[in-house]
Amino acid sequence: MEEKRIGVYICWCGTNIANMVDVEALSKEMQSLPNVVISKDYKYMCSDPGQDIIVNDIKEYKLNRIVVAACSPRMHEITFRKALETAGLNPYMFEMANIREHASWVHTDRNETTGKARDLIAAAIARVQWHESLEKRIAGVNPATLIIGGGISGISAALEIANAGKQVYLIEKSGTLGGIAAGIDLTYPFLNSAKQMIDHKINTVMNHPMISVYLNAEVKPEFGKKIVGLVGNFETTIKSNGEETKLNFGNVIVATGLKPFDAQKVINYGYGKLPNVVTSVDFEKILKSGVIITRDGRVPKDIAIIHCVGSRNENYNAYCSRTCCMTALKYVNQIKSALPKTNIYDIYSDMRAFGKGSEELYSITSRKNMMFLTFDHKENLPQIKQASYEDPFNLLIEFKEKFSGESIEVPADMVILMVGMEAHDDAKQIAHDVGISLCGNRFFIERHPKLDPVATTTDGVYVVGTCQSPKDIPDSVSQARAAAARVLASILVGKVEVEVTTASVNEEVCCGCQTCISVCPYTAISYSVEDKVSKVNEILCKGCGTCSSACPTGAIRSKHFTDQQILSQIEGMMSASKSKKNLIEIEET
Amino acid sequence: MQFQPVIVSFLCNWCSYTGADLAGTSRMKYASNIRIIRVMCSGRIEPTFVLTAFKEGADGVLICGCHPGDCHYHEGNYKCLRRFHLLQKYIQQMGIHPDRLRLEWISASEGKQFVELADEITETISKLGPARINKYMEVAKY
Repeated sequence: MEEKRIGVYICWCGTNIANMVDVEALSKEMQSLPNVVISKDYKYMCSDPGQDIIVNDIKEYKLNRIVVAACSPRMHEITFRKALETAGLNPYMFEMANIREHASWVHTDRNETTGKARDLIAAAIARVQWHESLEKRIAGVNPATLIIGGGISGISAALEIANAGKQVYLIEKSGTLGGIAAGIDLTYPFLNSAKQMIDHKINTVMNHPMISVYLNAEVKPEFGKKIVGLVGNFETTIKSNGEETKLNFGNVIVATGLKPFDAQKVINYGYGKLPNVVTSVDFEKILKSGVIITRDGRVPKDIAIIHCVGSRNENYNAYCSRTCCMTALKYVNQIKSALPKTNIYDIYSDMRAFGKGSEELYSITSRKNMMFLTFDHKENLPQIKQASYEDPFNLLIEFKEKFSGESIEVPADMVILMVGMEAHDDAKQIAHDVGISLCGNRFFIERHPKLDPVATTTDGVYVVGTCQSPKDIPDSVSQARAAAARVLASILVGKVEVEVTTASVNEEVCCGCQTCISVCPYTAISYSVEDKVSKVNEILCKGCGTCSSACPTGAIRSKHFTDQQILSQIEGMMSASKSKKNLIEIEET
Repeated sequence: MQFQPVIVSFLCNWCSYTGADLAGTSRMKYASNIRIIRVMCSGRIEPTFVLTAFKEGADGVLICGCHPGDCHYHEGNYKCLRRFHLLQKYIQQMGIHPDRLRLEWISASEGKQFVELADEITETISKLGPARINKYMEVAKY
């Protein structure tokens, strides 16, 4: 057996780690652990000079195993694995100890945190002893792409990919393309027609030779899951207009969009009971019809707009939906140009006018002979009442003015509720079908909020548009096109690295009991009647390791998560604490 | 010297480990007794891992996985749940208090819940005092 030569590198992360962990003392201490050849600490291990230290040391000291104690492996494991590769070492000869997210950032006592970091690093050193070289597996990429959702995001992504000459399957659960954007009259801040913009795109999509559109479509479950396979080679069966089609594709873009907040949930506003209280979704329809009239056919003399309906309030949704403020200003402009004599009351909590052209829209609107009023979006929401029939108006809005605290009554013939965006009711099901996760507000989680905002933790699955978070049309389109670029890049490369940390069977030890087959969620294991042992299909295996913990003979190994690696990690972790514990017991007796 | 329990925690990569990372990036604070080991899925956690932790002197073991229905691998957490119930019975026969072994679901967005769990379990085990099972236990090694 080769001699194990371990290099240990402890990161300061500027002051992020060094403030709470005595990195210098630890790096001295680790020097004395078995097989550790060199132990160093450095300001930023992930920086180029930091990585160079590892690369040079591997060559100089003939290191064959590396431990880096720094941030979460979810952050920089790939960075350091690449450094190992640069130095000619197998990238799996590497282990990371998470002493930032799991230690320095979450504890307050420097001694305790240093003690914990010591245990975590010792565990990583013990584990890395048993690491073995794993060879990368390469799979081809199917150049077709599945896009779920035919709104503005789905359409934009589809066109981008199809114009590059690659096949797109666009599936839409409703009978028409265009989604929410198709129901909008004008767009803010420049008041351009949404119809002109989207109709042209829909036509192009419908007639594009590289795009197959499936309307009224749903995905049919197979093996309890709707999309099977992995990056580069997915497959699914869809049902569209009663017909079933089997699709094979290499990447998935999820663009399932949003659901408007149900305004009936806010009892104060009487939506559904008072006919002239309408939501912004209803008002777009009124605008599209060409005439702004109340339900009883009169021209409204007073119109009130209420912001933050279902948004920024713990009782409904705590987040901001980003688009409602500017949409409300758009309404003011549209109403003013259609009905110049109508009084408009814009009742808001905070005016959020960010992005190109928005602040300008706000200042233009505020000069339009209308009235801004404020309310508290957290408590004392406005109360909308039916006015008595003697009154010259239809509705009465009562609320406390936010700054003066004074009670105010506003008359209105029509009230527009600016409803926020919500995730779809079946978001969880969709997430499960494609293997991604939901955040607390049931929007899909991106891989990294800043550095990787369109990818997800499942390779080959991208999230775009409002299913990822509330956003406006420009943001949705940018995200859709970014995802399209990512998909095209993977098609261009033509091959993907497939998970190497799969299971493997030691056929000498396997007794053929087939327990593993019954627990595998991917049907990746099959029984060979000829050899009387189980065999793993490494293309299907995703490396969860459930089979290896079920195997009664220990014949199945989870690569990179072997029993020996994990047991050593536990032992290494406890070695320091154990001696301390013995001390306590001696004291006690 | 005040007793500081050591709690070995096995966290699945996709939900719970990410949840614990979120607690870190949000700078939430919790007791420093939890020592986290990452596994790809809670379904990977063998009884041997838990018993080895106790043998090596852990005062408690915490297993965290994705919420039922949310498993990255569809159903690994259910496999884990079944093993957990069996293991709970087994450790009691060995003289280990059942509260020393816990299984909880933590999603990727539940940093706060992880922090609360860590503090709560640390308190529970501090009250139970040091586990002495490691004095009498031999676990077969592969």
